[in-house]
Amino acid sequence: MSSLLKKIDHYRQLFTEQVSRVKEAREVEELRQAFLGRKKGHLTLLFEEFKTLGPEEKKNVGQMLNELKSDIQNSLAEMEQKLKAPARVKQLEDLTLPGRQLYWGAPHPITLFQREIERIFISMGFSVEEGPEIETDYYNFEALNFPPHHPARDSWDTLYINDTLLLRTHTSPVQIRVMEKKKPPIRIIIPGKVFRRETPDPTHLPMFYQVEGLVVDRGITFAHLKGTLEYFIKALFGEKIKLRFRPSFFPFTEPSAEVDIECIVCGGQDSACRVCGGSGWKEILGAGMVDPQVFKNVNIDPEVYSGWAFGLGIDRTAMFAFQIPEIRHFYENDLRFLRQFNRR
Amino acid sequence: MKISYSWLKEFVNLNLSPQELASSLNQIGLMVESITAAGEDTVFEIETYANRPDTLGHLGVAREIATLLDLNLKTRNWPLKELPQTTAEMVDINILDPQLCPRYCGLVVKGVKVGPSPDWLKKRLEAVGLRPINNVVDVSNYVCFSLGQPIHTFDLSKLKGGKIKIRKARKGETIRTLEGETVELDPEMLVIADESTPVAIAGVIGGEESGITESTSDVFIESANFNPVSIRQTAKKLGLSTDASYRFERGADPNAAPAAAVMAASLLCEFGGRVSKGLLDVYPAPRKPRTVTLRLRRVNELLGLEIEPEFVVKILTGLGLKLKEQGPQVWTVEIPSFRVDLEREADLVEEVARFYGYDRIPSAITPVKSFELPADRKRDRVWRLKEVLFHHGFDEVINFSFTDPEKEQLWQTGCQPIRLQNPISAKLSILRTSLLPGLVENAVWNFNREAEGVHIFEVGNIYYWEQEETHRENLNLGILTTGLRSGRTWKETEKQTDFYVLKGAVEDICNYLGYENFSFEPVEHPFFEPGQGLRILVKNEPVGLLGLLNGNLARSYDLERPVYCAEIDLNELLRKQPRTFSFQPVPRFPGTSRDLSFLVEDSLNYQQIQQQLQKLNIPYLENFLIYDRFQGKALPPGKVSFSVRFYFRHSARTLQTEEVDRAMQEIISQLKSTLKIQLR
Repeated sequence: MSSLLKKIDHYRQLFTEQVSRVKEAREVEELRQAFLGRKKGHLTLLFEEFKTLGPEEKKNVGQMLNELKSDIQNSLAEMEQKLKAPARVKQLEDLTLPGRQLYWGAPHPITLFQREIERIFISMGFSVEEGPEIETDYYNFEALNFPPHHPARDSWDTLYINDTLLLRTHTSPVQIRVMEKKKPPIRIIIPGKVFRRETPDPTHLPMFYQVEGLVVDRGITFAHLKGTLEYFIKALFGEKIKLRFRPSFFPFTEPSAEVDIECIVCGGQDSACRVCGGSGWKEILGAGMVDPQVFKNVNIDPEVYSGWAFGLGIDRTAMFAFQIPEIRHFYENDLRFLRQFNRR
Repeated sequence: MKISYSWLKEFVNLNLSPQELASSLNQIGLMVESITAAGEDTVFEIETYANRPDTLGHLGVAREIATLLDLNLKTRNWPLKELPQTTAEMVDINILDPQLCPRYCGLVVKGVKVGPSPDWLKKRLEAVGLRPINNVVDVSNYVCFSLGQPIHTFDLSKLKGGKIKIRKARKGETIRTLEGETVELDPEMLVIADESTPVAIAGVIGGEESGITESTSDVFIESANFNPVSIRQTAKKLGLSTDASYRFERGADPNAAPAAAVMAASLLCEFGGRVSKGLLDVYPAPRKPRTVTLRLRRVNELLGLEIEPEFVVKILTGLGLKLKEQGPQVWTVEIPSFRVDLEREADLVEEVARFYGYDRIPSAITPVKSFELPADRKRDRVWRLKEVLFHHGFDEVINFSFTDPEKEQLWQTGCQPIRLQNPISAKLSILRTSLLPGLVENAVWNFNREAEGVHIFEVGNIYYWEQEETHRENLNLGILTTGLRSGRTWKETEKQTDFYVLKGAVEDICNYLGYENFSFEPVEHPFFEPGQGLRILVKNEPVGLLGLLNGNLARSYDLERPVYCAEIDLNELLRKQPRTFSFQPVPRFPGTSRDLSFLVEDSLNYQQIQQQLQKLNIPYLENFLIYDRFQGKALPPGKVSFSVRFYFRHSARTLQTEEVDRAMQEIISQLKSTLKIQLR
């Protein structure tokens, strides 16, 4: 009997010793096999030996033996739990190394700015229309109330294809095309490429982008034109921007207006400002009430309907907003320029 | 147009500071572009408009400012020292074409001592940027810039027979102008001629022969009115723009002609001149004043205002308009002849608004009475397509629509280019017929500026003659990839782009736009190296091309690296109906997969294998993926190996191994007959 008790003591010590050296889950399993293995485990053998004892002895030794078994089981389970998770993961050496970044292509700044403008007008219930870039003299000029041979055409210096076809000098011909097809109410904007016979310089190019707006309905007034454009400009340049409306001339609007915004570069403080020339104001768009002759040209009765329209140069406005010094950058397509715009 | 403050004060008493005057001018639309101090004077550069010839003289600007400030215009007297003879005794004026010359006034001034102008006159001219020449020429400029009415002075002794004939030029006639150039006249041009030859191009420029010189003593003053269109066409044809033509082509005031002649004559009296008696005024069909009806209601309707009728009357009267009450708050308005721009009620509304002040008009939100969704989704889909390309790392570019015909020709696009009649330069003289030349130039530009890889696209129109007389503009997509795709990082080595980078982007455009039924076929095209081009088909119709850029073409741009590019006809692509989206239930039972590797004849390509696999009719076969293609010495000659993973699934239960085994047997047997596969 005493030999069995001694053995129990011995294996308890042995286990305590061995379990303290365990570092991996694999070793836990080995210990389990060594002590609790079905055939040759130390405890299995002790239980075999225990069976040979008499009833009196069994009482005492049995309790000890069972205690040892449950202690070993608990200890192994605890050990296993402790070693399980961390052992399978490889440690990273330097977490500050850069992650795997994906390059996302850059939208062209004109596209970006055009979408920003569209977003504002779409939020006001406008829809977007487009039209051809090769136009006829009729749509580009005559229907818009430019008489043939009138000096007003000089401000829209034109690239001609032949006697009737030309590259549109503004997006305004699309106004005519839409009004020919659709009855009021009309509430549209028209973005697109336009062309002028301009020699390239820092602020002029023979091709650029415009966006045109047109509203036609009963009871539309100049006050509506002002309110809508003020909202638009503030949405684009911020609530605090100052703007002014002043009279101007366009053959297709009457009354006509030009809208200036305060120079965001110098705020009117620099008399040599290269953006506003020291005036403190930057011309940003042309607008007006749709000329009655334009309505007549598309069979809309100007006594019943009225409307307003505006046109804005996207390139120039983007130049002003982003403070880009040269319009040429837009069409050189230098990646060092373009790629700045996917960070916006 | 330059306006001198001192000159303005000849017409109206002003005591504003230059800044205050500028802001007043701005309010009424005479936009001041610059203010320059010139000694005691101040000069304003103002923007004038094509429809406002009345503002091309100081009087017109003074009238505007006087109306705004509620001041009266000064009346000026132009006394004459008269000769006993009448003008008609000395000259004979004959308008042969009254359409092109509605009015012609003349006076003779004898005994003028030609010489330098007095200081006051020189100062006036210099202020507005004119060079003083001699007192006679300077007087005519002074009158022109005062009243906006151009006048011309002739040396009377050079007018043969004392005859003034206003007629069209005869074929073959020439004239040496005051600028010293001999120009050929054509029969559409109006001239002033004496008995035999032209002495001036009417309304544009005088002839040198009849011009004022040091030895001139007798001067004939012409103050006339000419047809604007005729003057414009003549000036355009001759490539000449003068102060006179600039005013006449905008429409000068026929009623200013007599006053201008008298003013000029009076000034010439200061230099010893004596004036012929009686202005010779030939005005065969005097113009009747225009009248326009103006309703106060309409003013308020268009402006969104409540304006007092008194304000309307005061402003319009100040501007020289005559109002007669037609009914309650309705007027018949007589328009003065100097306001060629006022023709309709809306024009008068603008006058009221200008002087009321645009800034005082309230702001209101444009009311919305109905809503509308865009009719087609084309714009949305173009943006979706751009997003796919951004995601693939392509940057967007925009190139000019015009291009160099010599460069374009190398590409053999097969489209008849549209030529511009008046291009900016030979290098920008045709419209592009492909987007790719522009993209290649962009690649060159960037490689020359330290770029190591260029991956770009453009969405824009190309243009061509579809048939004679029928032009076409078509929305295209161009994509280009060349050079390094990604640089070296601690994790990866650098990677060059390749054809499959391009093809992947093209396929993803089709995938994400819902055009799943797309395929490719080999194509020979001048854009690409032989055997290195593909045509893209959507629903079996061609929509574009992609491939490896032809080496000769690349070298003509000094490009050494391989360039892969694609051009897609977006009108054609976006016209196609995308697959309509329908929700598929998420699988509830596990699927299973099996791999199969086999050999086929190497004449078969991936797409042919794929098409045959798609035709398999096998129960529970959910999907397949060709994940490997291998060709090499380890294989029998003439063979290529493909590996395919097949995915199986039953929607209502877990599949049994035996069922999948049977399905694989069936696949093998079908492929043996269709593709003649040999298992590896």
